[in-house]
Amino acid sequence: MNKGSFAFFVGPSVFVMLALMTLPLLASIVLGLHFITFRNLDEPLWVGLRNYEEVLGDPEFWDSLEFTILFIIAAVPLRIVLGLMFALLLDQITRFRGLFIAAALVPFVMTPVVGTLIFRDMFDRGGPYWYWMQQLFDYRMFMNSTTVPILIVFHSIWTATPFAMIVLFAGLQTLPQESLEAARVDGATWLRQLWHIAIPHLRSLFVFIGLISIMDAYRVFDSVFVLTQQNPIYDAETIMYYNFQVALSFGRLGKANAMSVLTVLGIFVVLIPFLVITYRDQVEES
Amino acid sequence: MTQTKSPVARIFIYIVLALFTIYNILPFGWTIMNSVKLPKDANARTPRFVFSPTGENYADLWLNVSPEKFAPYGLALILIVFVLIVIGLSAKRIPAPNSLVYIGCIFAGIIVAVALPRVVNTAEFYDYLINSVIVTVGTLCVSLSIGALAGYGLARFRHVVSVYILVIALAFRSLPSLALVLPFYYLGQLSGLYDTHILLIFCLVAVNQPFTIWMLRSFFMEIPREIEEAAMIDGAGRLRSFVSVIVPIMWPGIITTGLFTLLLAYNDFLLARILTQINWTLPVGIAQFTGGEDPGHVTLAAAASVSTTLPILVVIIFFQKYLIRGLASGAVKG
Repeated sequence: MNKGSFAFFVGPSVFVMLALMTLPLLASIVLGLHFITFRNLDEPLWVGLRNYEEVLGDPEFWDSLEFTILFIIAAVPLRIVLGLMFALLLDQITRFRGLFIAAALVPFVMTPVVGTLIFRDMFDRGGPYWYWMQQLFDYRMFMNSTTVPILIVFHSIWTATPFAMIVLFAGLQTLPQESLEAARVDGATWLRQLWHIAIPHLRSLFVFIGLISIMDAYRVFDSVFVLTQQNPIYDAETIMYYNFQVALSFGRLGKANAMSVLTVLGIFVVLIPFLVITYRDQVEES
Repeated sequence: MTQTKSPVARIFIYIVLALFTIYNILPFGWTIMNSVKLPKDANARTPRFVFSPTGENYADLWLNVSPEKFAPYGLALILIVFVLIVIGLSAKRIPAPNSLVYIGCIFAGIIVAVALPRVVNTAEFYDYLINSVIVTVGTLCVSLSIGALAGYGLARFRHVVSVYILVIALAFRSLPSLALVLPFYYLGQLSGLYDTHILLIFCLVAVNQPFTIWMLRSFFMEIPREIEEAAMIDGAGRLRSFVSVIVPIMWPGIITTGLFTLLLAYNDFLLARILTQINWTLPVGIAQFTGGEDPGHVTLAAAASVSTTLPILVVIIFFQKYLIRGLASGAVKG
């Protein structure tokens, strides 16, 4: 393919990404340097770095960052471990695989707002999980600042474990057959096959799932919005949710833009090693 | 890996997987039940699995008129939809070009959807559905057409420029979307595009584009170059050979990518919540049920949840194997 036709094919998409992603990003840097509320939308007031000072001095910002990091630490490893466990179980059987996978897709494809709403109903007063917990463990669950954050983690595991499971199950189907055969001849137990063949083979998938999960957990919003019912008493604000509040509930658009610039910088710190690896891989390939 | 032979272990595995399956689908099943309960059953202190069902919640959700008045129109609607589906499915037997039949069916469907609220008094939820459909279809069309062109170009042009574009796209993929949508919100307010479908579609296309080109490129890489080279030797240009040779064999890849785009556009809450005021999409419409103390809210929210989820579940069940293959292939390439 020559340069002319490459430009023709890639042009529209690059144009979209320039006009609709790069420009807004630059705009948010500029907007972050202004004082803007709903009253002065068309004449923003230049304040320099004062928005950034305000964000960095805002205890709620640090609280939300802390909760987001705790959320990532709690949710991401559990998703991978549970996903691996169910993938291994699926690998053990032959019948009804399709059925189990199809059912696992339900929480994964469901609209997150709806999924959270119905997940909460299960734990709310009069819901089945609420009732069974009361009957079996004599535990009466209330929505408070302990249970709501736990439910946010539970919900994220409920929706994301199927993703990890399907990806890892697909990976298990591509294990090198010769090594497995050799292991079998040598009488290696299932556990040794898992440890010496499957886990090393799946390593890149763990990285892939981990990375996607971290990115998604970092920007979790919908479930927080629904589970906290926008009520601050649950003390479960993630960084995206607080950023949203600053923008729309408090109407501080300039400050919100400064905050989103900071969150972008935050995710890039995590991401840069991965971008470098991808760059190297692609250069080698081409 | 070696499968266990012990019957006890096998039974145990099946039980664990069955429990996992119940755990996955029980909340939705419970919501379906709630959606046909009377408020007094739904708000009972112990969960009721046996009750006398009612269709009232759905009627309240969708209509501003009594169900009796709607019944004849409802029957007519079901009949029309049924006829359109039959015509669409038997398009090959009709002595007219297939594409004409499909376009005719889609066109008739649009007319019915637009005419319905003028004939009967539908509730706001119907408008949310229409908004969701417009936004989703718009995003799908724009996103896939420019994404397919770019994916093909990136798969075939082995040059460092392609690598730059891909790496930058990957970086964009990870952006918290709030960083994009707040400027969109601001510019929309200034330009008067705020609360229009077009602004939301633009924003969704932008957020989705990096993922689309990565995924489509990986599918294009699997197609051997010889195929379009043969077409080009026969005198077809790049674009010609792309449209008439590559795209037809790429359909599975395009459907797979399209499914993920569909999920993203249909399920999106944050962007639609920020960029719309009254032209809400379904997720934004449902979020209004989150904080109510009114006992009727539980059943109404359940009916809304089921109404929102069913279309997506039908599509996913229909195209399940594409979705699973997409997940698996993204996986294998890492």
